[in-house]
This record gives sequence, C-alpha cells and structure tokens, in this order.
Amino acid sequence: MNNMTTAQANKFVYLCGIVLLLIPIIWLGLPSDGNAGSGGKLSQLRTRYELGESDLGDIDPSGAAMNLVLLGMRGVAVNLLWIDLDNQKNMKRWSEMQAVTESIVRLQPHFDKIWEFNGWNLAYNTSAEWDAVPDRYFWVKAGGKFIKRGVDRNRKSTHLQYHLGNIYQKKIGIADESKYYRKYFLRDPDPKFNNGPDRDFNPDEMDNYLVAKKTFLLAMVKEQTNPQHILDISLFKTSPARCQFDYAVALQKDGLFGEQTREAWQDALNDWTLKYGREFFQVKIQDQVQSIQMEMTRPEIKAVAKSPDDVPKIAAMIEHYRKMVNYYYWRTRGTIESERETSEAHRDLYEGAQLYKKQELAKAQESLLSGMEKMESLLKRKGNESLADENDLNEECLLGVLIWIDIHRLVGEQIPERFPLDWLKAKMEGNAETMNKVNRRLRLLVE
Amino acid sequence: MSFDPQPLFFWYRVDPINKFMEAGAIPFWLVVSGMFGLVVLSISILNIFIIHRRAGGRVLVRETAGCISDLSSISLRRVFALTKLTFLEAYRRKALAVFVVFGLLFMFAGWFMGGTGEITNDQVKIYVSFVLRAITWLTLPVVVVLSCFGIPEDIRLRSIHTVVTKPARRLEIVLGRILGFSLIGTVVLVVMSAVGYVWIVRQIPKEAKENGMLTCRVPSYGKLLFLDRSGLPVASGINVGDVWEFQSFIEGATAARAIWKFENVNELALDADGNLNLENRFSAFRSYKGDMKRQLFYDFKFTNPEKQVGPDHKPLSFTTEPREVNEFRGSTDKIPRKLSRIGEANTYDLINDFVTASGSLTVEVSCLDRQQYIGLARPDLFIRKPDQPFWYGYAKATLGIELLLLLVSIISVTASTFLKGPIAALTTTCLLLLGGEASHKFMDDLLIGLMRPEGFKGGGFLESIYRLVTHANLVTELPDNPAVLIMKNFDSMLTVMMYVFKSIIPRLKYFNMSDYVSNGFDVPWNESVVPSLVVTLGYFLPCVLLGYFALRIRELESK
Repeated sequence: MNNMTTAQANKFVYLCGIVLLLIPIIWLGLPSDGNAGSGGKLSQLRTRYELGESDLGDIDPSGAAMNLVLLGMRGVAVNLLWIDLDNQKNMKRWSEMQAVTESIVRLQPHFDKIWEFNGWNLAYNTSAEWDAVPDRYFWVKAGGKFIKRGVDRNRKSTHLQYHLGNIYQKKIGIADESKYYRKYFLRDPDPKFNNGPDRDFNPDEMDNYLVAKKTFLLAMVKEQTNPQHILDISLFKTSPARCQFDYAVALQKDGLFGEQTREAWQDALNDWTLKYGREFFQVKIQDQVQSIQMEMTRPEIKAVAKSPDDVPKIAAMIEHYRKMVNYYYWRTRGTIESERETSEAHRDLYEGAQLYKKQELAKAQESLLSGMEKMESLLKRKGNESLADENDLNEECLLGVLIWIDIHRLVGEQIPERFPLDWLKAKMEGNAETMNKVNRRLRLLVE
Repeated sequence: MSFDPQPLFFWYRVDPINKFMEAGAIPFWLVVSGMFGLVVLSISILNIFIIHRRAGGRVLVRETAGCISDLSSISLRRVFALTKLTFLEAYRRKALAVFVVFGLLFMFAGWFMGGTGEITNDQVKIYVSFVLRAITWLTLPVVVVLSCFGIPEDIRLRSIHTVVTKPARRLEIVLGRILGFSLIGTVVLVVMSAVGYVWIVRQIPKEAKENGMLTCRVPSYGKLLFLDRSGLPVASGINVGDVWEFQSFIEGATAARAIWKFENVNELALDADGNLNLENRFSAFRSYKGDMKRQLFYDFKFTNPEKQVGPDHKPLSFTTEPREVNEFRGSTDKIPRKLSRIGEANTYDLINDFVTASGSLTVEVSCLDRQQYIGLARPDLFIRKPDQPFWYGYAKATLGIELLLLLVSIISVTASTFLKGPIAALTTTCLLLLGGEASHKFMDDLLIGLMRPEGFKGGGFLESIYRLVTHANLVTELPDNPAVLIMKNFDSMLTVMMYVFKSIIPRLKYFNMSDYVSNGFDVPWNESVVPSLVVTLGYFLPCVLLGYFALRIRELESK
C-alpha cells in the first residue's frame, strides 16, 4: 500500500514537471497570428530577422518533411551524402551524382554554398568530362538551372544571383565552345525544344550576355540589403556594364556591324560612364570614409572634400580605382566602337576574311587593306593608346594582316616594305601565345 | 558498367599476370571451415575435461554418440512443424508492420527522385536501384531482429521447454528457426518485390519503355589485352589522370590497341538479322580540344590468327569503318555476318572465317585521332546476345536478396544459440557491415601486404609496437637476433589467424545484383547468382552444426 502511494506520488511529481516544462515551450513556440509582434518568442525572432522558410525563398515541402524526420541527424546525413557525391563524381556516375545533389539541397536548402558548389561542379567539371559539345551544353545548362533554383529558394542571396550571372556570362560566353553554346542558348540542340531555347534556362529568348546583364542587375539590387563578399565592390558593380560590352563584341564576332551593334556599343558606353561611372563607392582615406565616383570631376571632388588637402588624396584614390577596373580602356573602347568608322573597319576586316575563305582573293585583299587602314588611324588617334594592348582587338587586326600577307603570297605579289598595322605585327611577333592563336584561326579559315 | 563482373572459380585458377596458382572456393572453404571447426572442437573438449575432470573422457564419448544420433535421426516433418511455429510466432510479433514503412517510402519516393527527367536511361537506373535497395534495407533488419531474438526469448520465457521436452532434436530447432525466419522474410520480400516491380513499370514513361530502356541485356564478356603505342603488350593502357582507375586509355593514331578475345562465339551470338551486336561504352579524352564539331573516332579490327591470306600469308583481318565514341551512353555496332575486304571480290563469313577452331573471336580497338585517347575497361565491350525481358533480371535480383536474407537468418540464428539477443544482433550487424567490398578490400590489402615475402611496411602487430617504441621508421632494418626472429614469427602466426578470422566474414558483393538490373543488364549466373548460392550454402553447413552444438551444450535453465 505504502509502495503504491509512493509510486502515485512519483507519477504526480513527473506530471507536474511535464506541465512546468510545457509552459516555456508553449511560450517560446506559440505561432504568430499574422500580425507583427504576435506569437511566441521564436515566432517574433523569426519575423524580426526574416528567418521563416517563406521569407528565405520558395518552400520545398519534401525537404522540410525530411529535415523534420531526421531530427538532429541532418548534419550526419548530409556528410554521408557528400562522401557519396564525391565517390560518384570520381566514378563518373553523373546521374547518381545529380540525384545525390538533389538530396543534399533538400536537406540544406538555405546553405547557398551548396548551390554554388554543385552548380559550378555540373556546369564546369561535369560538362568538361563529356566529349560531344551538345552534351557539354546539357551539363552547363544543368548547372545553370541548378543555381537558378537556388536563387528561387534563397531570394536574398546576392552571391547566388551573382554566380548565376557568371554562368550566363562566362561559362556560356567565354568557354572554348562559346561559339556553340551561344547558339544553343537560343536554339537548344535537344529536339524536344523544337529549335527554340530551353525556357527554364532562357525564358525570354534573349542573348546570353543580355540575360547575364539582367541577372547581375538583380544581384546589384540584392547587394544593397545583403552585402556580397566575392569581389571588391568597385569590381562587383562593373558586371552589368561588362556584359553589355561583351554583347557588343559578340555581335561583331558574329559578323554584325550595323546599327544594332553600334547601339549595343552606345548602351555599353552609357552603362559604363553614366550608370557605373556615377555609382558611389565608400573608400577609406586616412581613417576617413569618403564617397567617390569613377566619373567625378575636379569641381565635384572639391565639393565633397572636407579640406583642400583632401582633394589630391581623393583624386589619387579615384585614379587608383579607375586603373583597377580598367576604366579608361572601356570608356575609350565604348566611345570609338560607337563610331561609324570603327564599325566599318571591323566590317572590312571581317568581310575580307570571309572573302579569303571563299578564295575571292582580289576582293579580300581590297577589303582587308581598307580595314587595316581604318584600324591604323583609330589606334594611332590620340587618347586611344590603351586600345593597342587589348587582346581581342589585337588578334582581330593581326588576323587581317596575316591574311593580307598570305594573299600576297598566293597571288605572287611582293609584300610592301611598309603597310598599315606593320608595327602591330612586329610587336605581336614577340608574343608567341597570340601568334599561335591567330595562326590557328587562319588555318581554320583555310580548312 | 562501372565494375568488372568476375566468375567464382571453384577449385583453382592460374593468375594470368604472375602465373601463380590460386586456390578456388571449395578448397578455401574446406581449410577455413576445418580450422574454425578445429578451434571450436578443441575449446569444447578442453572445457569438458576442465568441468568433468577424470570423467571427461566418458562425457565426451556420450556427447559424441548423442551428436551422431541427433544427426542421423533428423525428421523433416518436425523441422517443418518448427518452421511453421517460427513463422506464426514472427507473424504474431507484428513483423509485417514493415509494410507500413515500405508503403510510406513508396508514397514519397517520387518527391526525392525528380530532377533527372531529361536523361531517361538514368531515370530508369535510379528507380530500379532505389526499389531494390529499399527492399533490401527494409527486409534485412526485420530478419536480423526476429532471428537474433527468437531463441534467446524462448530461453528467457522458458517456452523452449515445451519444444525440447517433445521428441524434437536441437538440430531440428536450429533448422526450423532458420527456415521459419527465412520464410517470413520471403513473404515480405515477395510482396515488396511485386509492388516494387509495378511501381517501376508505372514510373517509367511509355516512350522510354518502347525505346527498350526497361530491358535486360545479356552480355558475353571477353578477355582484354593492351598494346602500347609501340605495339608491345602491356598490362593496361595509359592513365590520363583520372582518380578512378577502372578504365585505362589507348593513344590515337599509334600502334596502341585494346584487344578483346571472346570465347565460345558461334551463330547463337548473332541477332535475328544475322548481325553481331558489339556494344561498347568507351570514353574519350582529348589532350587538346581539336575539332569540336565531332566526337573521337575508333574502329574495330577482326583478326583470325589461324587463317592466313594473301601472298605474304598475313592473318585474315577485317577493319570496320570509323565510328564515333558515344561517351557515357554507349553504342551498339551491328557487324554484318558477311564482310568484304577492300580490293577483294569474295566475301568472308564472320563466324566461319574469323572465329578460330576453339571458338575464339579477336577484336582489336584503336583510336583514330592523333594525340587523343579512348578509355576502356574489360566490361566496356561485349557481344550483346538477344535481350531478356526486364522481369527476368528483376526476378534474379530478388533472388539475390532472398539468398541474402537466408544467409542473414543462418548467421543470426547461429549467433543467438550462444549469445543473448542484443549481442547476437550486434554480431550479425557487424558481420554484415564488414561484408561490404570496401572493408574486404581494406582487410585484404592489409593481410596480403603482411603476408608478402618482403612484408608490409612497418611489419605486423609486435613489430609495429617495437618500431614505435624505438622510433625506428618503416624502412629501418631491424637487428638480426633471435628476439626479432621470434617477434616476426609471432606476427606471421597472428596474420594467418587474422586471415582465417577475416575469411569468416561473408563476402556480400555477389548478393548485390541491383547494379546489373539498374544498368539494364541480366544478372549473370556464373558471376553473381551461383556464387551467392555457393556462399549461402558454404555458411549453412558449418553454422547449423555450430548452432546445434552450442544449443546442445547450453544450459537452457539460465536466462
């Protein structure tokens, strides 16, 4: 009897303990009724720091359910999945690797490094393992779409938004296969897209550089509330304008030299000087925070300087930043490329190469010489000196010169001692890498 | 496939590289079982003499006679009765509740396996491997828990007295338990496999099924030899820097070749149209980008060294047109039976002219692009015989799981005859975890390293301790004195013992047949089904005897 009483008393004490413990749990976990400041402590903190699943991005019910089922073992499960992923990557089991990646992001959907790493892995490493270019493009796209999903799940992440822009701009635009990738971006090689783009990757049917620009502009907006830690802010903010420049260059490479290309250059120049050039950057000058702009004039510097002594210091700092981002070069390039004469120089060189390919040597020679003369006059113009150090432009001019020389050889004519851009050829002969590259392009034209 | 299926050899084989003779499964089993049995018997006899002292001899004779009597008077009827009893007991313990977990898993499986919709072949792979793995990992714990706790619970609750007081032998109890638990596992497995099959068929798009993606290819593998860029025989091709060394590479536009020799080739290997289907899964490696518009080229050259042609009496050969590598997807090349050599009017018959008298067909593969490489491994080229339906391979994979359940049941029941339930479950789980290929490879490397004539770097157990204490590095020569000799001999003895104990751990790689089916292959008899059966039988006899023996000497009154 006595034992029973003790047991009952124990049970009563346990019950009281449970009830007591429930009070703080309920107080902490009370759900919000939708109004600000309502709900338990956890709910209030979640609202204040915007940590709710729906605040962070799209909700994935399966991932949330999985996390709940795993209780505290999520970290262990993720580690095991990462080991699996690494093995599958080494063993080239791509589909399994992709499936494991899906599981990892379901468990850690708001860890943006996972999205970044795996997206990069698919777009850069996995794609490089495949031999056929359409296959490589499939994996580049898989990586891009993966990061795009990451952006949707993590709307506040500036980093993911920026990395998505990088896939559009650098992976599609600068890879060795960029000629094909850019084409596939608008007309996917997969027959199921009926010669159109994969709308999950390119919903607006735009050029990859313009999509990249749009993506980077969103990253700039996000950066205002969620600072990035990828690049110095002055470099980070060049991205949209640089995409516009790349777009204009790409149009020229595609053989388009009309109004559309000149407009593209004009837009690029505006983006560079009027938008980026007018962005404020906070810099530290001798323990003082100072706002500067790339396009700041002397009177403007004087207006913001706290003392006359600060004026040269601010000017020096602006100059330092301009050099860091290659500001003058792009401004000059944008200015001259917007001109009709430059556009014609490009067209002449391009058409000369195409005529050479068709073995219409006389016409090719004429077109090339015209292009070379125009380029010579452009590069020699005062203020354009920095352009002579630009690789793409150098290669284009050098290719024109080499074709022109080859035509002389083919038709049995003597090459004149002096000719336009001869100084550039002499300079480039000391640069084996560029010479090899241009010679290869020349061979490809003949083949 | 990303692995090389090797057949189990029963008696012996000669290693093709170092020409050593290796013992087969049967002599190995006899040695290990014999040694293990000897250890168990020695301990038992010693135990009898310690307990009964002078009367030990008499007890030993009595026990031996009892054992012989039990073994000779085994009744199948009683075994089946005990099997039925075990089955019902497992049913009452709600073993079938596992179906709830199974149902939940399959309800939500689709949520976690999306995202690969664009590659249908891979989709099939993921679905099939998920189903077979889910079934394995759901049924195994059920059988382990039931089998490990069955006998110990009976002893604890003393319900075993109701059995042993009847004319049932303890051997029959062990057999009945093993069969009963396997049976409940089988019932669960059959239901789950049927549901899983329907689930797979429903998940795979109709188009994919029509394209033959849900199939069961029957490969005939050959032996692979390599020639280097100068045409000299080498053990393998070039490593182009891959971490995974499964494939090795041959250089293009050189004398480098990968040569397959297929045995037993005859007309049955041809398809209905009379073509020989050679399926490959070569990979490409470019040392420079080259022409990106096309993939790398390879060709096949069929040769018959027994048949000479032409004025210079060269072996008869035929080289195919160049073909493009279809990396990671593979391709099937249809080789027509009638082959025409350039510049010759008459045609040659693939089977009659290119297959040797002993039925061997030699196929040389070369890469045609200069400074580019083609990667290959033995299973990357095979003769594709007429396909089997998908259910055929799936059923074989299910049989593999069934054999695994039987093996687990055998080990668990045996362990439960001399261990308490939780310890028996722990023992079985450890054996299963150690039975994986990675752990076996680790143990093999360790032991084979130790048993090599030059020894493993750093030596065995005592030598390692000696080196640690004396700060002697791995390559320092040890002094030549009797103490070191004794130490090394002790280490060798310990290594042999470790090898015997390691051999007791089951090798489970044969039981995993899901990789074949998920990759669209038939499960081969010689490389997987028969070895699984042999391993199960190999454990059956010694385990049943050990279990019987343990139950016979066990004091059933103790809890």
